Amino acid sequence: MSETISAPTLQGLPLSDVYHGMKARNVKDSTERLTAAHVVIAGCGGLGTNIAIALTRIGVGHLTLIDFDSVELSNLNRQQFKLSQVGMPKVVAMKQNLQEFNPFVTIDTVQTEVTRDNIPDLFKDADIICEAFDNPAAKALLLDTVSDVFPDKPLVMGTGMAGVHSANTVTTKHPRPNLYIAGDGESKGAEGLMAPRVMVAAGHEANMITQLILGIHDL
Amino acid sequence: MVIVNGTEEQQVAGQTITAFLTAREAPIDNIVVELNGEIIHRPQFDDKQLTENDRVELISFVGGGR
Repeated sequence: MSETISAPTLQGLPLSDVYHGMKARNVKDSTERLTAAHVVIAGCGGLGTNIAIALTRIGVGHLTLIDFDSVELSNLNRQQFKLSQVGMPKVVAMKQNLQEFNPFVTIDTVQTEVTRDNIPDLFKDADIICEAFDNPAAKALLLDTVSDVFPDKPLVMGTGMAGVHSANTVTTKHPRPNLYIAGDGESKGAEGLMAPRVMVAAGHEANMITQLILGIHDL
Repeated sequence: MVIVNGTEEQQVAGQTITAFLTAREAPIDNIVVELNGEIIHRPQFDDKQLTENDRVELISFVGGGR
């Protein structure tokens, strides 16, 4: 008696149909580079969750999410968590959400605080490093250390996305080799942080990362 | 004369990075200092002195994002 081995399916469709169907509207000839890329995202909040969703949707092959914190009610006005996820470690909750959007992405999670000492280990496998912290001193420390330890890795950062101001003041700058900084450069978190403007800055970072992966470096 | 973020500044040469930032009341922890194209790492701030015709770029960060 012969056994029938059925092809794997997802939502009732052959897996390969789902895989290719989800990429049908991506830009031409992008799949190979996107799939091969590993982006390490430091911080899983307003910037990090929105960046991770964008990169997951287009099929960046490998993401690592780093954050020490857990989901709080006050996060939900801008961070891509659900009310049901309050109390969960952010990286665990976000991995769940990302896998629902695109199961073909490898997602690693690290629940830790980024320090000068663990940066060499946390980012050693990254093709591109994405900074998505809240704390300005943590941002400066990451740039200071990465420029020393990994001078050849592109670092994409964010600064200034708070308050209610024009979305058009958020830009991406390229102040030195391998460094890209998105934001308005001046609005501080104390003004309040809300999804629309945070998502503008996250979009800038995610777009710069996509450009770098696809070898298009113009601002 | 030292050029700071593209602007000429007098009487800055001779100062250490720490003294220079402190005099500007700059939030030292939130700033990365680029001197003539090279990033000066934090442990060097107390020793590294600015000299005539140096070009300093201050890369400052504000809070908000996570």
